[in-house]
Amino acid sequence: MPTILLVEDNEMNRDMLSRRLQRRGYEVAIAVDGREGVEMARAGGYDLILMDMSLPGLDGWDATRRLRADPDRITTPIIALTAHAMAGDRERALEAGCDDYDTKPIELPRLLSKIEALLASAE
Amino acid sequence: MSKPASSTDVRGDVQRRQAALLRLTTAIASAKDEHAVYQSMVNGLRDEALGYNFLGVFIIEPETGDRVLQASVGWPDIPSGMHVHRGEGISDRAVRDGKLHYTPDVRADPSYVPSLASGSEVDVPLTVDGQTIGVLVVESSEPDAFGDDDFEILQAAADQASIAIGRARLLHAERRRADEHKALLDTAADLTSEHELSKVLHAVIERAVSLLGVTGGEVAIYNEEHEELTVVASDSIGKDSTGTRLKLGEGAMGTVAQTREPLIIPSYHEWQGQSPQYADVVVHSVMAAPLLIGRRLVGAIATVHADPDRTFSEEDLRLLNMFTPSVAIAIENARLLAAERQRADEYKAFLDTMEDLSSELELSKVLESVLARAVSLLGVTGGEVAIYEEGEDELVVVASRNIGKDSTGTRLKPGEGAMGTVAQTLEPLIIRSYHEWLGQSPKYSDVTVHSVMAVPLLIGKRLVGAIATVQAHPDHVFDEEDLRLLKAFAPQAAIAVENARLYTAAEQQHQYFAALVANSPVAIVILDPDHNIASSNPAFERLFGYAESEALGQNLDRLIATEATMSEAEAYTREALTGPVHGIARRRRKDGTMVDVELSAVPVNVGDEYVGLMALYHDITELLDARREAEAANAAKSQFLASMSHELRTPLNAIIGYSEMLQEEIEDLDQPEFADDLQKIQTAGRHLLALINDVLDLSKIEAGKMELFLEDFAIAPMVREVMSTATPLAKKNGNRLTIECPDDIGQMHADLTKVRQMLLNLLSNACKFTSDGAIRLTVERDRDVDGGRELVQFSVSDTGIGITDEQMDRLFEAFAQAEASTMRRYGGTGLGLAITKRFCYMMGGDLHVQSAPGSGSTFTICIPAVVTGGPPTTS
Repeated sequence: MPTILLVEDNEMNRDMLSRRLQRRGYEVAIAVDGREGVEMARAGGYDLILMDMSLPGLDGWDATRRLRADPDRITTPIIALTAHAMAGDRERALEAGCDDYDTKPIELPRLLSKIEALLASAE
Repeated sequence: MSKPASSTDVRGDVQRRQAALLRLTTAIASAKDEHAVYQSMVNGLRDEALGYNFLGVFIIEPETGDRVLQASVGWPDIPSGMHVHRGEGISDRAVRDGKLHYTPDVRADPSYVPSLASGSEVDVPLTVDGQTIGVLVVESSEPDAFGDDDFEILQAAADQASIAIGRARLLHAERRRADEHKALLDTAADLTSEHELSKVLHAVIERAVSLLGVTGGEVAIYNEEHEELTVVASDSIGKDSTGTRLKLGEGAMGTVAQTREPLIIPSYHEWQGQSPQYADVVVHSVMAAPLLIGRRLVGAIATVHADPDRTFSEEDLRLLNMFTPSVAIAIENARLLAAERQRADEYKAFLDTMEDLSSELELSKVLESVLARAVSLLGVTGGEVAIYEEGEDELVVVASRNIGKDSTGTRLKPGEGAMGTVAQTLEPLIIRSYHEWLGQSPKYSDVTVHSVMAVPLLIGKRLVGAIATVQAHPDHVFDEEDLRLLKAFAPQAAIAVENARLYTAAEQQHQYFAALVANSPVAIVILDPDHNIASSNPAFERLFGYAESEALGQNLDRLIATEATMSEAEAYTREALTGPVHGIARRRRKDGTMVDVELSAVPVNVGDEYVGLMALYHDITELLDARREAEAANAAKSQFLASMSHELRTPLNAIIGYSEMLQEEIEDLDQPEFADDLQKIQTAGRHLLALINDVLDLSKIEAGKMELFLEDFAIAPMVREVMSTATPLAKKNGNRLTIECPDDIGQMHADLTKVRQMLLNLLSNACKFTSDGAIRLTVERDRDVDGGRELVQFSVSDTGIGITDEQMDRLFEAFAQAEASTMRRYGGTGLGLAITKRFCYMMGGDLHVQSAPGSGSTFTICIPAVVTGGPPTTS
């Protein structure tokens, strides 16, 4: 089953999303901030990253940019999650190196379809 | 005559025509003679602003009744002096009945005679003293070219000209009379000249010497003003005493002049009353007598005996008294003649300078000189001039001279006092004994006046003022001759007063505007055509530090622009040559500091002539500070909203997420009794989230922070996606959702997210307010009304409850669901339509609604197929 790295600082969001993804059969690994997210992603072993954009310290935008600028070329698909449902966020996320974008609160069916589409195209 | 095109043209036109009319009347009023009046009238009416191109003035020849052309414009083939016979021509009608006549089509008129301008014609009679003396003929080559405006102007010009002609004729006649009168007096004076008088008086003395058998004698004339006698004839008294002046009481003649009684001095050398001027005479005895007319002293006569044996007797005195009355009368006649001659000289001089009065325009000077001339003309003690203020219906005394008080500023109602009386009756008035007169005004109770003569100052029948002259001396009483003079003088004075009043009004208006500029809080600077400063106001000095004296003649841009702003400043100046400019800029003060200003500049034209620029500067430092503060406050607000919505959303995400998760889990746990409650928590959470999103959207729109992300997208797939989202909503209320969208409708360039949001808003509204009905989304391409832009039109129609007229008014306001209860019943945030409408505006489109209560609604969004540019700030 695919393994998903969830980078999320809010404990409840983390708990909720990881449990719901696990119920649908995904393996879920957790990073609680941008720095940890970048370290874990570099270490490898994930099929997809769900990246919250507003993180303390190193935020999701910068974390994504770092991964994409990494000499090892981390190409793991990233879906950006933002709470600001602002027009333009999608463009910004794609510009930063994300592969897709979704807004919080999570509508699980929508997010699942995006995850499945990215995993399918990665194969 | 041209018909103006727009309202601003009308205003400008009216002003130009009024100015032209004022020029015309001033020119007519200052014309020196009758012919100059005709010439000024035709020249004035040809003025561009009035635009009469074919006109002439005819004057009726009294002998034949023919009309004789005096002056014309636009009739090159018709010489002045041309006769039109009595009873002929179109203008004969105006001559016959003394009224303005208009002939819209002269060719149709039986009395038409072919001429250059054979369209329409206006004939205005010229009337002097109620009698038609001529006619002003104005023609146009167009039929029906004249209107009420023209009649008004032409009538006004004819009225002015009539007054001026009447005045010129009066002046002419008066001048002829004055010339005749003076010639007569000159002849009489030659006969009774001073030389003649002294001859007569010598003859008198010779007769006295022979009759009384005396040695010699003298005659002296009394000068009232200097209270002295002057010897004018002297014979054989031991010296030639001619020219000797004697005070009252001095010597023999001085004594009789004082006592008014004859005197016999038997022994002159022993007499105590001797005058030193006669110390060397060889005289023994003297007889002297005063020369009297009634009780009034006119001179004295003396006879002497050199022979010590001879003395004067009572019989001698009786004989002398036979002489004295005729001598007195001869002296008095000579004096009267001299005085009359002097007065005639003065009157002639007065008539000579009359014309000058018209050209003097400063009111106070005019009035002073009017009064001074009246006083000297009539030889009176003093007088007053008052002008009539129409608005107040009062006379105001504006010049006062020697009436025992300074009455300047006194206000008189019609009927009050002498001038008030003539202002009411419009007739002259002579008051022979002022102190017995019942019409006295208490305002004049303290004047020292014996008799008064007053006349109204009239132009036509219009009162412009009054003039009064007074005599303090009881011996001088006004007579008909005085009144005739004053009446002759009055029309001229009236015109002078009126001209000066018009000029003063214009001057006051000028001063009013000057004061406006001087007191304006806005810095105002006027540039000459070379862009140099011609004037600046005190606010300019307050703003920039340059006094007017420093600024004069300087180039404005070089004075207050810096190197960095010079080209911008010069561009403003260039642009202002052609029309108003407006802008915000930074300029340099005298002390080198910079100031933010709002500037406006306009070209200044007087008539059609460009005379320079006017520039206005308004200090906007405070305004800019306020704007910066407001912008900072607004940014703080936006930041607050953004972070608030983030802080609110995080716990909401948890509520929505956990309730959803629990719903999934209870299916596995098989505990359906909780499903309903969990659904309620989730619905409430989603509603709250929608509210927060909408409020955030709206506040961003209103702060101008909402941005458009324009992209090309295919319309049909977008519509299908929206339909799939809306279908569950429609089903909930049992509605049927249909779509009419051509597959080949193609692409548009717009903000995809917002278009989607707008359509969802409209569809979810339709679903909410319709039950068991039909909802249809129609998509079409269309063109703008003017055929310009291509539009994409989305219409959402339903068969729901509809909207009343009152609800319609508030439909697009935020939080304005038709009724508060509606929200409870139908749900929704009440912000959807407000946001949708604003999104439409942002994309250069619009949102319309058609509805009637009970019969459904149709909302139509029109958006340009290619949205361009940034969003306009919404209001």
